[in-house]
Amino acid sequence: MIFEERQIEKNNFSSRATLLFGSIILGLIAVLIKVFSLQISGYSDYQLAALKNKNYAVPVQSLRGEIFDRNGKVLVKNQPTFDLITRPNLISDIDSFLDEIEPVIFLSHTDISRYKKLQKEKAFVNKELVLKKDLSDEEIARFNVRSFNFQNAFIAKRYRRITDYPEIFSHVLGYTSRTDDDYESMPEIPKSHWKDAELSYAHGLIKGRIGLEEIYDDYLSGKHGQRVYEINARGQLVQPLSFIEPEKGSDLFTNLDIEAHKSAAKYLGNRKGAVVAIDLESGGINVLYSSPAYSINKLSNGMSDTEFQDLINDLDKPFFNRALQGRYPPASTIKPAIGMYGLSNNIVNWDFEIKDPGFFTLPETGRVFRDWLKGGHGKVDMHKAFLVSSNTYFFSLAYQADIQELSNHLSSLGFGQKVCLDCFGEDQAFVPTPEWKYSMMNAGWVKGDTVNLGVGQGYLVATPMQLANYASLLATKGKYFEPSLVTFGNQKKSIKIWQDDRFDDSDWSKMHEALLGVIESDYGTARSIRGLKEFQVAGKSGTAELVSLDSKEAYQEVRASESLRDHSIIIVFGPMPNPRYAVSVIIENGESGGAIAGPVAIEVLKSLIDE
Amino acid sequence: MNKLFQKIYFDPYIFFSIFLLSMLGLFFLFSASNADTSIVSKQFFYVFVGFIIMILASQPDPDIFRRMSGLFLIFSLLLLSITYLFGPEINGAQRWVRIGPLSFQSSELLKLAVPVFLANFLFDKKLPIQRKEIIISLIIICCCFFIVFRQPDLGTALIIACSGLFVLFLSGLSWSFMGGSFILLIISSPFIWNILLQPFQRQRIATFFNPESDPFGASWNIIQSKVAIGSGGLLGKGFGQGSQTQLNFLPETETDFIFSVIGEEFGFLGVLLLLSIYLFLLLRCFYLALSARDRFCRLVIGGLSLTFAANLIINLCMVVGLLPVVGMPLPFISKGGSSLVSLFLAFGIIVSMGTHKKFLPQ
Repeated sequence: MIFEERQIEKNNFSSRATLLFGSIILGLIAVLIKVFSLQISGYSDYQLAALKNKNYAVPVQSLRGEIFDRNGKVLVKNQPTFDLITRPNLISDIDSFLDEIEPVIFLSHTDISRYKKLQKEKAFVNKELVLKKDLSDEEIARFNVRSFNFQNAFIAKRYRRITDYPEIFSHVLGYTSRTDDDYESMPEIPKSHWKDAELSYAHGLIKGRIGLEEIYDDYLSGKHGQRVYEINARGQLVQPLSFIEPEKGSDLFTNLDIEAHKSAAKYLGNRKGAVVAIDLESGGINVLYSSPAYSINKLSNGMSDTEFQDLINDLDKPFFNRALQGRYPPASTIKPAIGMYGLSNNIVNWDFEIKDPGFFTLPETGRVFRDWLKGGHGKVDMHKAFLVSSNTYFFSLAYQADIQELSNHLSSLGFGQKVCLDCFGEDQAFVPTPEWKYSMMNAGWVKGDTVNLGVGQGYLVATPMQLANYASLLATKGKYFEPSLVTFGNQKKSIKIWQDDRFDDSDWSKMHEALLGVIESDYGTARSIRGLKEFQVAGKSGTAELVSLDSKEAYQEVRASESLRDHSIIIVFGPMPNPRYAVSVIIENGESGGAIAGPVAIEVLKSLIDE
Repeated sequence: MNKLFQKIYFDPYIFFSIFLLSMLGLFFLFSASNADTSIVSKQFFYVFVGFIIMILASQPDPDIFRRMSGLFLIFSLLLLSITYLFGPEINGAQRWVRIGPLSFQSSELLKLAVPVFLANFLFDKKLPIQRKEIIISLIIICCCFFIVFRQPDLGTALIIACSGLFVLFLSGLSWSFMGGSFILLIISSPFIWNILLQPFQRQRIATFFNPESDPFGASWNIIQSKVAIGSGGLLGKGFGQGSQTQLNFLPETETDFIFSVIGEEFGFLGVLLLLSIYLFLLLRCFYLALSARDRFCRLVIGGLSLTFAANLIINLCMVVGLLPVVGMPLPFISKGGSSLVSLFLAFGIIVSMGTHKKFLPQ
């Protein structure tokens, strides 16, 4: 090649090489810009992504608070039990391990097959696995002696939710059971991690069901802790990184009373019914008992399916909370309310008298409403009408009532509405009105309906809770507290006032006098319980008829079938003259209010006053 | 000692930048392999052998390489066909030839043989080079490309094609010809996509354009690589402290994705330092190419160093998500004896081409 040609070639090469090397440098700059955008601009996002890759957070279950009665005696507690936990990743030969541990710990076939099924997976990811739950004392002792042989297993404490009174507080306490939606309480932990939660309860992640356990679930359940593990790409736990201790839930101090509950359960026996008792000084509910009951210990700690089905199918409906949901005709216990209506509307006064022939005839139709006493009570004024529970008196009073006003009056006494502040699943029952009857039965309200209302029969229904609330209103002369199971120390008691200008203090005194007479006088319908106690008690009993009959004779036929027998009802408050407690008792198919329900109410009252 | 240095052909700039790179490489590899000393000592052995090869290869006069280039190409192709016929299948590809205890990826040699051969073929041709010569060069490039591509090893095949095309371009390929072939490439791209590419290669390219479509499948690698680099920040998480690396979220940490390890553990400053060394090395090669004694030397230095640069850029772009995933090591850093030794050989040749001056007749 001649010189110029070589020079041209060299220049050509230089420019082309510059072009290529230049593009390479541009490429390097592009990479650098990209790295800059990843490491500097996008740092926080990618750092978070890297943490999300390697950090595996699991919840650490918190203990629930305990529940106490009004005297500070424990009602529900956390009782430790002991489980045998293994570290499958440290076990080289699973069969020889099981052979070795079998003489120490009794293992059932299901224990072994479950363990064998899960151990490989747990070993791979370095997680723990429960081999046996609820070890006996002997097993624990045997294991502890030999624990140096088992570097790959250890005993861990797991709690059970236990009450010493499983049958008498069932409905009011409620129970706990396993839950699948606990992850909502800690959204920072992904849902899929909850299967690896560090458990404090043998039964797993639990949640309060019904009763206080559910109503105060947030208060009782505390705050789960958190343990963060480092994991690798295959999901194996590498090491623990951090730990936030769980916060135990708050203890719940209730107004319930163990001794009074025991009395209620004892004297109600195996009869169906309910008892509610209210502390008049605070509105605190001391007794909320429904019979028959069921064992909440079993429900909280794993009940077999058949046992559960038996409870569900039981004709006596043990799950039904009669105290809050049972709808009963209040029967004669409504008479004080009717009397208050008559007095404040000037239909009657305390001196007004009627002649009681033993029945009331509805003028419009000639329909006859019978008294419970054939032949009647003779001359009856209001005081006597309460004592002897004269139906005729209240039939004729109700006859003159305006149904709308009467309904409003009953509502003002708590009927037809929820009265308890913190009861689970309280039913509001109802007070009938013409509109209600029209919409439910497609029939018009007739005068006879109002007359029936006068003695608490017919369409009016109330729950034992409402009756106890009504009794506490009567006992406190209208200045009562809203019933509640729990009263927090700093919480202001919500006083409720029932007031009517036309129903004054002297009316209240005469009312108390009359209701005292029901039990304490020689003519009172509930005088049979007079001798059961050393203090004076006021009250009103009732017998709720389930079938409407014209005569006592007809009732004798009905009696043959137990489920059609009358319900016996009583409301009482005492000790008089300065009452501290109000109690309502209903015994299904118990007949005769005073004599049957009365003793139960008195015994409950006695155990409350004795303390 | 000084006399020895005066007698041997040696470029201190290239030597020290490569020394720095391979020492850093051993250091990074230690972390990337979760402190596996057997991997690191094996790699150290290759580095050692590499330096000897580089120094030895620097000594012969460029004319010897020129005369041997045809033989070299034939030898490489022969080795490759032996591999193709008898080599063991590893990960669905036949790439390795076994010589005693050592195994060698025979396609690595082609990366050197093709540019040297083409430089020899083209260096004395008149400008602009004729169509006949272009076609012969292209046939050689295509043959080598397809032999490697069928192994299948798209990454190496692309690099071999690049190495040939760089020489062709540097030797004066006309612009009109290039424009024409570019249009032809665009037109034939559907054919390439559907017939030439393996399903897994198509998948990788599809993943590249939509990485979030399948975060746990095909795009896992690239997402984890970005997370690793991005989470390194300015200063990195520290040596052996990269969670993406150490907990195996990052795949292929010892080979293709070792740059992500560096990014994670040494941060932006570490990346900056590493890229500066590469840049320095490339600029030195550029200088040597411009100042080489004749056209053959220029073409060889240009071809080999640009091949090295392409290799580097493709790997970097792949791990930061600028290009689809192709198997391509980070030169001098990634684990792997074959590519390391062939790199040292390439730089030995570059040094030979750059340091031998023609003794002008006095």
